[in-house]
Amino acid sequence: MTTSRLFLTAAVALAVGVAAAFAISSGTLLSLLTQATIYALFALGVGVLLKQNGMVSFGHALFFGAAGYAVAIPLQMKLLPAEAIVALTLVGLTLLAFLIGLVIVRVPGVAFGMLTLAVGQMAYLTASRSRGVTGGADGMQVDWPATLFGLPTSALLKPAPMLVLCWTVLVLTLLGVALLLRTRFGAITEATRDNEERARFIGITTLLPRAAVYALSAAVTTLAGVLAALNTGFVSPESLHWSLSGVALMMVVVGGTRVLWGPALGAAVYFLAKDALGDHAQHWMAIFGVALIVVIVFAPDGLSGLLLKWRRKAGPGTDVATAAAPHDGAATRTAH
Amino acid sequence: MPPSQDLVLQTEDVAIHYGGVKALDGVVLTLARGQVRGLIGPNGAGKSTVIDAITGRRRLTRGRVLLRGQDVSALDVVGRRRHGLSRSFQRTSIFGQMPVRKQVELASYKMGATDPGADADDVLRELSLHGQAHVTAADLGYGEQRRLDLALALVGRPTVLLLDEPMAGLSVRESLDLAQHLKALAQRRDVSVLLVEHDMDVVFGISDVVTVFELGRVIAEGTPAQVRADPRVREAYLGSAA
Repeated sequence: MTTSRLFLTAAVALAVGVAAAFAISSGTLLSLLTQATIYALFALGVGVLLKQNGMVSFGHALFFGAAGYAVAIPLQMKLLPAEAIVALTLVGLTLLAFLIGLVIVRVPGVAFGMLTLAVGQMAYLTASRSRGVTGGADGMQVDWPATLFGLPTSALLKPAPMLVLCWTVLVLTLLGVALLLRTRFGAITEATRDNEERARFIGITTLLPRAAVYALSAAVTTLAGVLAALNTGFVSPESLHWSLSGVALMMVVVGGTRVLWGPALGAAVYFLAKDALGDHAQHWMAIFGVALIVVIVFAPDGLSGLLLKWRRKAGPGTDVATAAAPHDGAATRTAH
Repeated sequence: MPPSQDLVLQTEDVAIHYGGVKALDGVVLTLARGQVRGLIGPNGAGKSTVIDAITGRRRLTRGRVLLRGQDVSALDVVGRRRHGLSRSFQRTSIFGQMPVRKQVELASYKMGATDPGADADDVLRELSLHGQAHVTAADLGYGEQRRLDLALALVGRPTVLLLDEPMAGLSVRESLDLAQHLKALAQRRDVSVLLVEHDMDVVFGISDVVTVFELGRVIAEGTPAQVRADPRVREAYLGSAA
């Protein structure tokens, strides 16, 4: 996909999202779509790490939950204007992720996943036990001021504007990440993911790009966490729990990571299917578990991979190759 | 031996020991500018380990590696590559999911080429890969992948190229083609080559000098004719038929 077409797609997606938000009258549906959009952003964060680093995180809720607390605590203490707190949260957690990344991305495979789990659970336990600051297991309210970025918060918190805000952030983040991955940085991270040893032998210091991708994925997840704190006005230790990281990972697997929008698709399917189940939703995880197995066995590239395959079959001239970035690991062939 | 100012690569008493196992023991090698030095020896003699030692892939137990007279022993793989030390791999090592030109251009960029695109195109043309520039590397044939591995090593104008069995897995015809390419490339790009290869026809055909390894030590060196005639080499490696 050319850059101009990428911008056009983003503009169309924004227009459709805004139109849909104001066309839908059901507050419940708007709320559901807002939640799906926030989790789409969360899943995008996890997906970027898998797509560009080939790494699976079981602890990305760390950034989702920490974003909520990083906003809620200073707001409650009235330390700084809300806008500055939001900006500092984004920058601070991204920098923190980069520093954590410099240590943990050195570790390959399952061990990396376990490290992310360990770091995430440390944050969960800390939030749970620091009752004086975080409210402990009861969680805490997020005291947003009357205006935020010049807009009245009461108007922003209505279902339709909230969906427009979250959708806009999602589309712009997708666009930004897509543009970033088209730069030399994207090529370097691709090379590092494909074959780290060869990457070193063409002069790439492989630690920094891996840590940078980890930080990028954390930044996207932090954005999702801030939006969640704005949407619900509440943050609790559950937002740091590993099970939430697991849900985001399931969305990524279902959506696929051959394309950037795959994890977002996974999140949408997750929420809409759950809602469609109605009263049967109490068995949701069992049902989603089966769906997960089906996808892994029959569509290992996820639903987005399946869509791309169908599109390719439908029109041989369709421009999908540039949109897809396969990541099947190192290309090392043994000589015969 | 050429004058020392012509030497682009020297190893001094290089040793790599794993506990009691001496993978390399006191290896002294030189490579003069524009020279092709073949490295032969039976399996397990330490040929690939020499390349790993020179490129910084394995830590030295003892000794030094000098590049154009400068000690690079303390540098890591990336540092040595930036100093002009490049290599290919015994097992094809490319970026399977990237298009051919994109990865060669990236390698050239990382080597600081002023025009990475032009440099990549030059190398691809020289290795007859320009027709596959936009093909994903994993979709190339095996011989083409071997040449891509070589292209990644050649961009950025390295001073020294270490080739670890570049003909491995190729047909006789492909091997001969690549051998001709190699010799011409080395001359055209002013790069000195250390060549580890099992194909004796290739080694003796394109090397200016040949070094013979056994059990981590150099047992003989000289021109191809001298090495062929050396009784120790015939006994240790080439066999009576050679």
